[in-house]
Formats: sequence, structure tokens, C-alpha cells
Amino acid sequence: MSSSDSGGLMSSAGLVRYFDAEDRNAIRIDPKTVIAFGALFGFLVLVLRATV
Amino acid sequence: MGWKDTAEPVLTRMPTVQRPEGHVPFKRKLGWTAGVLVLYFFLTNVYLFGLGGGQGGDVFGQFRSILAGGQGTILQLGIGPIVTASIVLQLLGGADLLGLDTQNNPRDQVLYQGLQKFLVIVMICLTGLPMVFAGSFLPASDALAVTFPGGTFGVKWLMFAQIFVGGVLILYMDEVISKWGVGSGIGLFIIAGVSQRLIGGLVSTSFIGNPQEIGIIPYWIGIVTGEVDVGPILGSGFQTLIFGQGQILALITTVMIFVVVVYAESVRVEIPLSNTRVKGARGRFPVKLIYASVLPMILVRALQANIQFLGRILNAQLGSMPAWLGVYQQSSGGVANPVGGLFYYMAPVRNPAQWMWWLGETSNAPWQIVTRVGVDLTFMVIGGAIFAIFWVETTDMGPEATAKQIHNSGMEIPGFRRNVSVIEKVLERYIPQVTVIGGALVGLLAVLANMMGTIGDVSGTGLLLTVSITYKIYEEIAEEQLMEMHPMMRQMFG
Repeated sequence: MSSSDSGGLMSSAGLVRYFDAEDRNAIRIDPKTVIAFGALFGFLVLVLRATV
Repeated sequence: MGWKDTAEPVLTRMPTVQRPEGHVPFKRKLGWTAGVLVLYFFLTNVYLFGLGGGQGGDVFGQFRSILAGGQGTILQLGIGPIVTASIVLQLLGGADLLGLDTQNNPRDQVLYQGLQKFLVIVMICLTGLPMVFAGSFLPASDALAVTFPGGTFGVKWLMFAQIFVGGVLILYMDEVISKWGVGSGIGLFIIAGVSQRLIGGLVSTSFIGNPQEIGIIPYWIGIVTGEVDVGPILGSGFQTLIFGQGQILALITTVMIFVVVVYAESVRVEIPLSNTRVKGARGRFPVKLIYASVLPMILVRALQANIQFLGRILNAQLGSMPAWLGVYQQSSGGVANPVGGLFYYMAPVRNPAQWMWWLGETSNAPWQIVTRVGVDLTFMVIGGAIFAIFWVETTDMGPEATAKQIHNSGMEIPGFRRNVSVIEKVLERYIPQVTVIGGALVGLLAVLANMMGTIGDVSGTGLLLTVSITYKIYEEIAEEQLMEMHPMMRQMFG
């Protein structure tokens, strides 16, 4: 840490930026759902491939 | 104001990943990061259902190492759509066409986030559809087409659906990491891909992978034990050792890039700050040489990747293009590479064999090679500088936005009046210049590293990105641990 205030000031995020503000209408997804869906989807495709 | 009101109902309803309530302990953060990483590696190994044999090579070609994902898998698109959408946003935002104030206005922030997601989904379709339907990059399985409703066409739609889901999954995996984990998902996927190739380039042996791509360590063991014959050391053997499979040059370049990036990360102009109320509380605002980070570089490369993608699609569709536009040659791996015409000059140089004409591995005339290197250099240096400026503007790191942040945190520059515009004037002396120099320098480095070759063919940009992202993650982890050990620090950081 070079200085005590650089952490809050430098906001170089990734390519996609996320802010604190959120709309009340937005659909919220639990992070576990994302991972579970990804894993299940992968398995589904694997199983389908095995059937052919 | 027009487009905002029209688009608001759609953009504000884009599904988002929940934010953690309160602080996430560091161990939990690591857990989420590891979980997403495992899922990512798993998905890059799941091949598409309905994919037939005889693939026509990787669509992304040499850009695969920075765009992540895997050819023929669910994650076929990698982070390509996200990067391309980001280019569009950077250009729109940099030219101030959006009219969104992401710094102060919460409604604009919500709109910006929604627009990001919407653009990524558009790009998934724009790049996914030609990949499936044009050319033979993802051939449909004939066995399945016989029984599947809609035949080959139906199978292709089925493959597109899987690619689409994969593209959306990457977007949400990134969001999970950004909100619950360490660093950003995109950074992590780039590191994952490049590191995998680096390790492969170091240790892969002939019985694991392609016999043509023996890693540097097994190759040298082979030389020592006498299994590999490189020929006379003063003749062709010298060439093989330095430029060829001996990879001495590639090893030196790879190590050099590591050293240069870590050094450049520490080069900075520091602007002294002092607190307006608490006398004696001092700080420094660092303007780093690579102020805009190396990420804008990926935007320039993605632009080149999209041009080459267009070339491959055109080549596959038209059969033969006019010679001034592009002449393609099938390589041994089944990938069509441009060897002449406009698309040849637009293709970045990737390894020594592509430009060292005295090695006799390229059939192009020296003037053609010089033109190609010139185009690549111009593209990367000027493009790097331009995208760095846009990056600084759109991520609120510019003089105006930074001055406001410094002022709002109750700091001032000692010896100057306590005023936002005064701080801005001082910052304006450094930030724009440093941004341009840093952006151009990173572009130059990437081209040089590519020309010298890198271990595992990870490309200069891939290596630059990996080293600087890893360094950022290291900084973030260090900061995180500091806060875990001293809970008081969290209040100071906010």
C-alpha cells in the first residue's frame, strides 16, 4: 500500500462495470443459482452427447 | 434524453446477481473465485451437443489465448462478446454520445449496467450466428441430423442455443466474481487460459499433446540425453535452438515481459495530498505509468480479431476472394491463414517465423512483411493510446472525476487553494500525458513480444494481460488481508 487513500480513489474495474445502484424492478439472481445452473447445463450436454 | 426513456423499461429489468449484504470474509471470497474457476474449466471441456467431426479450425485463431473459452465447446465464444460490447461502449462513452453521468446519477448507473448486458447479448448473437451458420467452423453432426427435426439446420440452431447459453453464463460468472470474489471474472478467465498454455509450453511432452509442440523443458532434456538431434551447432542447429523448438528467444522474451510489467507497475508520479481537517494526515495520489491498466490493449486486439474473423468468414463463404482483399492458405492444422491481400496486412505478427524471412519459413517478400509489421505497430501504438484515453474517461479516472473524488474525501494538495478546479488543473498536468505514454508503451511491448515469440505461443498481449492482472489481484489480496487483520482499517477505506 503506497498510500492510505488510493484504495478508494482508483476505480479501475474489469471490462464490465458494476455500480452500487440497483433498480427495484430488476430480477435478482443468487450467485449459487448461477454456478448450479452452469454445472447442471454442462452435465446435461455431456449426457446428451453420450446418448448419440 | 430520448433513448433513455424508451430503453428504461428494458434496461432496468436486466437480471442481476445479488449483492452481498455487508462484508464478505476473505476465505468466502476465495471460495467463490475457486468455484467459478472450476466451473469455467469444466465448461471449456464440454463439447457441443450436435457437433460433427472434421472441424475447420479455430475461428478465433491466434486470438484464442486472450479471448478465453475453447473451440467447439459450450464456451466457444469466450469473453469475445463482452470485449466487443465493451469496445462499443467505450467508443460511445468516450465520444460522450451516451449522455450518462455514471459518477453521480444512480439512475444513469442502472441504465449503464443494463446497457452493458444488453450489448453483450446482442454481440453473442452477432458473433455466434455466423460462427454456427457460415463456413465449417462448427460442422453439424450428420448422424444426429438424420433423426433430429429440421435436419442439419435444426442441429445448427441447437448448437447456437448452447453457445448462447455459454456466452450468457460467462457474463454472469464474471458478475459473481466481481461482486462476491476476488478481482473480475474476465481477468480470471484470461489468466486461466494463458497460464494453461504457458505450463503446456513448458512441460508438454510428445505423448500428451501434439508431437510438433513439445514443451521447452522436455525438449532440452531430449537434447541432453541425445534423443533429439538438432544438427550442427554452428549451422542449422543454432537456428533451431534460438528461434525454433529450442525456444531460447521465446524464454528470454517471456521473462523480460514479466520483469518489464512488474517494473512499469511501480513507475508512478505521486501527487502529495493532505487532509483539510486533520493536520498531519498526509497521503499521496499515484498516477501510475500504466494508469489505464493493460486492459484497453485487449480492446485493440479484439478489434483486430474481429477483422480477421470477418476475413475467415468471407473466405469460407465466398470460396475465393479478390486477391487484393485476401489470399488464404490452409495450414497443417486445418486453419486458413491469410498469406496475401488486405487481410494479410491487417493480421498481427505472432511469432518469429512469420517475419524473419531469412529463416525461410514465410513465402512473403520482405517489403510485404515490413508493411505488415508497420500496420501492426501503428494499430497497437495509436490504438493503445486512444483506447487508454477512452478507458480513463469511461471508468471515471480522468482529471475531472478524480479531482472530485479527492475533494470529496476531504483531501487537498498542499500549497494550493482548496478547490475542485485547482486540483483538476494539477491533475491535468499529469493524467492525460501519462495515459497516452502508458497506452502507447504497452502497445509497443505487445508487438515486440509477439515478434520475438513467447513460451506456449500465448502472444505478447496475453502475457502482458496475465502479468498485470495477476499483479492487480495480488494488490487486492494484500489489501484484503490488511483489512481482515485490522478491522479498523475498513472504516478508513470505506
